[in-house]
Amino acid sequence: MKKIKLVLSFLSLTIGFLSNAQKVDFKEFDLENGLHVIMHQDNKAPVVTVGVMYDVGGKDLGGSTDAPRTGFAHFFEHLLFEGTKNIDRGEWFTIVSSNGGSNNANTSQDRTYYYEVFPSNNLELGLWMESERMLHPVIDTVGVNTQNEVVKEEKRLRYDNSPYGQLLFAIAENLFDKHPYKHKNIGEMEDIDASTLEEFQDYFKKFYAPNNAVLVVTGDIDYGKTEALVKKYFKDIPKGNQPSRIFPEEKPITETKEATFYDPNIQIPAIVAAYRTPGWKERDAYILNMVSAYLSDGKSSKLYKKIVDDKKMALQVAAVNLGQRDYGIYALFGLPLGDTNLDALLAEMDEEIVKMQNELISEKDYQKLQNKFENQFVNSNSGVEGIASSLATYYLLYDDVNLINTELDIYRSITRQEIQDVVKKYLNPNQRVEIKYIPKEDAE
Amino acid sequence: MKSNISIYILACLMSFGAFAQLDRSVMPKPGPAPKISLDKPQEFKLTNGLTVMIVEDNKLPRVSYSLNIDNKPASYGKKAGVESITAGMMGNGTSTIPKEEFNERVDFLGARLNFGSSSAFASGLSKYSEEILNLLADAAINPLLTEEEFEKVKAQSLDGLKGQAKDVSAVASRVSAALSYGKNHPYGEFATEETVNNITFNDVISYNESAYNPDNAYLVVVGDIDYETIKKQIEESFGEWKKSIAVDYSVRKAKPNERYQQINFIDMPNAVQSEITVTNNVDLEMKDPDYHAVLITNKIFGGGFNSYLNMNLREKHGYTYGARSYVGSDEYASRFTAGAAVRNEVTDSAVVQTLEELKRIKTEPVEQDLLKNAKAKYVGDFVLALESPQTIAQYALNIKLNDLPEDFYSTYLEKINAVTTDDVQKMANKYFKTDEARIVVVGKGSEVIENLEKTNIPIRYFDKYANNTEKPKYEVEMPADINVEKVMQAYISAIGGKENLEKVNSVFITAEAEFQPGMMLNLEMKTTDKIQSTTKLTGMGQTIMKSVVDGDSGYMVMQGQKKELSAEELDETKIEAVPFPELDNYGGTASLETIEKVDGKDAYKININEKKTVYYDVESGLKIKQVEKTPMGESVLMYSDYQKVGNIMFPFGMSQAVGPQKFDFKVKEIKVNEGVSDADFD
Repeated sequence: MKKIKLVLSFLSLTIGFLSNAQKVDFKEFDLENGLHVIMHQDNKAPVVTVGVMYDVGGKDLGGSTDAPRTGFAHFFEHLLFEGTKNIDRGEWFTIVSSNGGSNNANTSQDRTYYYEVFPSNNLELGLWMESERMLHPVIDTVGVNTQNEVVKEEKRLRYDNSPYGQLLFAIAENLFDKHPYKHKNIGEMEDIDASTLEEFQDYFKKFYAPNNAVLVVTGDIDYGKTEALVKKYFKDIPKGNQPSRIFPEEKPITETKEATFYDPNIQIPAIVAAYRTPGWKERDAYILNMVSAYLSDGKSSKLYKKIVDDKKMALQVAAVNLGQRDYGIYALFGLPLGDTNLDALLAEMDEEIVKMQNELISEKDYQKLQNKFENQFVNSNSGVEGIASSLATYYLLYDDVNLINTELDIYRSITRQEIQDVVKKYLNPNQRVEIKYIPKEDAE
Repeated sequence: MKSNISIYILACLMSFGAFAQLDRSVMPKPGPAPKISLDKPQEFKLTNGLTVMIVEDNKLPRVSYSLNIDNKPASYGKKAGVESITAGMMGNGTSTIPKEEFNERVDFLGARLNFGSSSAFASGLSKYSEEILNLLADAAINPLLTEEEFEKVKAQSLDGLKGQAKDVSAVASRVSAALSYGKNHPYGEFATEETVNNITFNDVISYNESAYNPDNAYLVVVGDIDYETIKKQIEESFGEWKKSIAVDYSVRKAKPNERYQQINFIDMPNAVQSEITVTNNVDLEMKDPDYHAVLITNKIFGGGFNSYLNMNLREKHGYTYGARSYVGSDEYASRFTAGAAVRNEVTDSAVVQTLEELKRIKTEPVEQDLLKNAKAKYVGDFVLALESPQTIAQYALNIKLNDLPEDFYSTYLEKINAVTTDDVQKMANKYFKTDEARIVVVGKGSEVIENLEKTNIPIRYFDKYANNTEKPKYEVEMPADINVEKVMQAYISAIGGKENLEKVNSVFITAEAEFQPGMMLNLEMKTTDKIQSTTKLTGMGQTIMKSVVDGDSGYMVMQGQKKELSAEELDETKIEAVPFPELDNYGGTASLETIEKVDGKDAYKININEKKTVYYDVESGLKIKQVEKTPMGESVLMYSDYQKVGNIMFPFGMSQAVGPQKFDFKVKEIKVNEGVSDADFD
């Protein structure tokens, strides 16, 4: 059960970087090489976060048009810890932890984010490290080979050996036909195996230049000193070419598509209905977040109350809006209880969708949604680490860093009529993929 | 004048230096250590025993309540799972607020409210702080527990267990805890379909009465609230909580560690990675003088990315996405665990490397730098944790729950910094009990057991519920068109073809094996196509064993005692008393059973009779193994090193194992159609 919840919370994470509570003050400046810098000062605790978000993600394939390679951005998330000209192989983590810090990185289809959190007396160290990574990381065969094995283990751990771990793969490959969102973010292992060192080096040159990134520094800092330190370490990093990308547009889905996926790690099947929806900057994407909360957030939500609580047909139900830059994924998900069949479960979920299409949600439910989003908003940026990531995200992917303070206004302005319209517009059976995600019998 | 010039030069150099390129090879030094202050929460106690700790934090307009009831751990035996069923039922209404209304209200406030078996948590916007508090208190003190809800949660729980059945990591954590602590210890116990089915509604009611009591409860409040106001509200909402009559009980002791190092294997055919957990029970509490040194020791061994364990398994060998170790500290029982999820083919290597690293930390003094870094990480984590207002509340709570001295956290960094190289080695030897460790491996047996056996660590097999079981057997699906005749034909053509074999009238094999250094055993075997065979084993100039078959009679001599073969024994032996019994399918008695792995290769398993089984390599067709049931146990004969004698291939390696005894016979000579006469079978 824990695992199942994890999958869902992972999906719902992306429901919204719903922005922050009180006003978050920040300062911005640009370096000549195109690096954009955002600072946020909060001296309450002696802690700083230094993060760099690069505009490169799983959808940006490596290799060439003839031999495209999936999983490159995620592979680089690993590779760029291997060392730099001045940081020896294997030393990165030692430097961080021996200075009392912690660090991590993560990659989505749309971006890659690296960050360190330090006691505030190590701000300069953090800036030096991120500038080293941006300027001259070591990309060689030894590093590629080591990380190749590690990434394969990560894939086994997270997906191949994990119950419901391949759910998102099943959705993406069925929902996208041409757009690279159809690929696994972690990539195909054969692609990584087949890649040459030159392909890795080219990928770095193409995507990891200062003008394709944003640097964030938050926490116990002084604006003036921080700006000087940022300049000291980052100003001499050469500007790169601006990567251009043109991804093929998907044709709208007009007929229900049915698919089956087998997972050897489960015993309870799952039903998924997935719709292709607008990218996260669109107003409709915000409205779909509200639709999700209405349907499945909390015990009084429509799907939970009816299907899990009253009718006892499901162990779990969820409606999630997985936000992405170019297209979102809206998914209904259900785990049947006992001998409920998957079609019956989906029919129950559909009934609630149809109700939303036919009538406005009640005033009271609307107010409830507003309270929920306000609570999320207050909680979404409680630490300097979270604020750093949000600032970078809003700047790089939403083109409006001030959303960190204003995003709640968007939710407040959404009307009940808009909610009904959006459900009518996007959540119809003929616009979706229905996936039966079922147990694969022991292969022995 | 001269001196003036040099001053100019110096000045030039200096100004030049100021504009020089940044020297990137110099790692920036940390600034002065930041000052840290460790506040204490405000605290009061209600007359019913509930202790309340409050941290005012006005940064964000929110509030959180966390209720912790410090019950002794308990086991529920045939009703294991009653705690989680009760937890699942709680927070769904109160004696005065029906379920639907209650859930609606919580959601309407945008609040969160969760119950554990002896804990509860609520959070939300501070403008609703009083109402959230009242909902939490009412749901904790007067929970609405209904039969309907019970049936629902029970059904969900059963399906949840089903959902876990193939989850390798869930099985690994369940079984390793059960084996370490014992299945009837509170920390080793787990719910199964059977125990959940045993639970009744009344069990839940009585569990709830015994578990939810104010006298050992702590409520921690953090957020944008005012102390005086919230104090009054808490006195009102939680003041009416009455204590039920508690029955005191003693907590069972955890199982002692095993007396020898062993692998405990659990087979899961769907696994693509093996979950390895090296574990032993430890006796450690936070208040013990060893505590800080153990933390540092574990940090160095496997407590972080740049630990011995992770640097070896992940960074050096690429076996895993991450390897870590943990040491628990608990009044009742805790253990050391070290492990990783690794791909199937390196399971044995990962076990060996883990043990190597354990040996290293126990025998080699840790490098000064590593020790310094481990301490620095603790200092850093301590500082970073201070950002969260929950931290000081958590510290204050820890002091109470673990019976710690009041200055535990104010002296924490000092004690961490006092740990020496010597301490690390001592702690490793005291708490990482490698010689008594269980190495719990959950994985795909068909791909990993054979290699694990090569580590020479004894292996015990368990099922997914920590019950002793047999070593799993693996069968490979057979092609539909295969039969025993085809297996025999494949063998015959592999060693030389029917035509050549039929020209053989007799075979005379001599072989030897080293019994002890310098002491040889000699083996002589003769067979003819007239159902005659003799086998003679000699050593140190004496005949150890001799057996003879000649048509319808036969005898055996062992240690000077001669014994005629019974009719039954003769029938069994006669079948093989020819050079190539495969030529007539072992007298027509052979049957093809299945395909099994023999040394990693697929082999046809042919049953000759109830006592004897022969294996033929699927790929090469060659006979590779023969198993015979004897009164002393299974006798296994492995054939290898096929070489040509004339036109026919014979195995020149014959290795025989009976119980712990093993003899590797090497063929010295094979004579075909010579050196054999009827007199040999007298």
